[in-house]
Amino acid sequence: MAERLIMHIDADAFFASVEQGFNHQLRGRPVIVGGEAGQRGVVHTASYEARACGIRTGMPLIRAKKLCPRAVFIKGDFAHYRAVGDSLREIYLRYTPRVEFTSLDDAYLDIGDSVHLFGSPVYMAREIRREAEEKTGVSLSFGIGGSKMIARIASGLDKPRGINHITPEHEKAFLRELAVEHLPGVGRRVKEKLVDLHIFTVGQLAALPRLAVEQMLGKNGRTLWKLANGIDEREVERKVVPRQISRETSFPRDTGDEKAILGGLQYLTERIARRLREQSLSARTVGLKLGYADFSRAARAKSLERASSDGAEIFGMVRYLYGQMRLKRVHIRHIGVSVTQVRDKSVQETLFDGPRRAEALNSAVDELRERFGFMAVMPAETLQLKSRYRNDAHGYILHNPALTR
Amino acid sequence: MRYLKGVRTSTYINMKFEDIYEPIEVITHFQEGRLRPLRFKWNGRVYKIRQWNGFWINRQGSNRQYHFSVQADNSDFVELMFDDADLQWQIARVCLDG
Repeated sequence: MAERLIMHIDADAFFASVEQGFNHQLRGRPVIVGGEAGQRGVVHTASYEARACGIRTGMPLIRAKKLCPRAVFIKGDFAHYRAVGDSLREIYLRYTPRVEFTSLDDAYLDIGDSVHLFGSPVYMAREIRREAEEKTGVSLSFGIGGSKMIARIASGLDKPRGINHITPEHEKAFLRELAVEHLPGVGRRVKEKLVDLHIFTVGQLAALPRLAVEQMLGKNGRTLWKLANGIDEREVERKVVPRQISRETSFPRDTGDEKAILGGLQYLTERIARRLREQSLSARTVGLKLGYADFSRAARAKSLERASSDGAEIFGMVRYLYGQMRLKRVHIRHIGVSVTQVRDKSVQETLFDGPRRAEALNSAVDELRERFGFMAVMPAETLQLKSRYRNDAHGYILHNPALTR
Repeated sequence: MRYLKGVRTSTYINMKFEDIYEPIEVITHFQEGRLRPLRFKWNGRVYKIRQWNGFWINRQGSNRQYHFSVQADNSDFVELMFDDADLQWQIARVCLDG
């Protein structure tokens, strides 16, 4: 059996890189994708030139403008990024059929069985990088190792355009000196706990007894201890069931108009339901998030009786949650819907299949949308959004178009 | 600063993108299932396409929108879009460089 060899490919500042790739005038300039300079909203992606000015993802656009006045601000076009993501997928699949696409811009490739066709993993990475740059202008970084974790960490160490191959004999030494925050699952809180205990490197964490780490960090502790010791048996999966699917948007102006809020929520729910059905998934828990004009936030979640991919059923729960929330007497600026406990639809939910009618209706609606675009069939309540947003056959172009799927 | 006729900008920054989405006339070369815009007429002026930066396809149901990122002869970046639903060209976006 071939040696396990995983390649992680991550596009460098993907959205900004796409814009720079398709417009030569942007190359070498700081580019910020997320919205116009004066617009409210946050930075979604910053090019490396913008990052050098201190711009970070999630930073308010107004602050980004102050930090980097010469930056070019772009609203973004998700359809364009998706098309480029599809081109990257086609390239990866020519090198191995065993690809796990974790998002538009990153993927794991199991190259154990195909690497001999190309000579070496580094040569393979160079070829993929050359092809991607020629076809899309997007630069990629590569990490290659014996597990998904090693590959992922390695791809992030030498950005942009880096290729890092960690051979099995060097894995332990590679991990030993690595700062602990590089491990997947170590966020700000976990890092604080570890730093309090004078644990700064992965090697120090690995040297602790497993039970001690488990007691310190709970269930996550066991996983972290295993990762720190280089134990990661996760396979490259062609179909990944996401933990959560969410859609959010901000209103161009704060609003107290309940019809607009519920219309927006129903539209976001429809998009989530469509995504669930596209991937033959269903979800059990529904979450609602509201952001007020005073920047306070409120969120609630509740589980359905059984997992569903029906927009009307999920929106019924969203409406219930909205009714249950004690709304502040402040206008709303941001809304979001999410579903969790996502599972494969092939799992039988009930002994007797009940809601066949809804399923038949949904499949007819999906067929119409497949043929005529997402806007071909819409719940009546969402149509009033037409006065607020521009739309095309694909859907409304929301306030943050970079994220408008 | 160079201007494409008909576009108004409200800021003085070096580079600004404008969404236009207006129907335009385009002289196009069709060959072997591919299309390539050569010149376009917008607001009464004809622009020759100097450079093709790339293209991508946006699927809208069973229809396709072909987006072309091009450089006009006055050096401005322009995004043109051909929609096969109505066989019409649009000027989707322009970028004004200062």
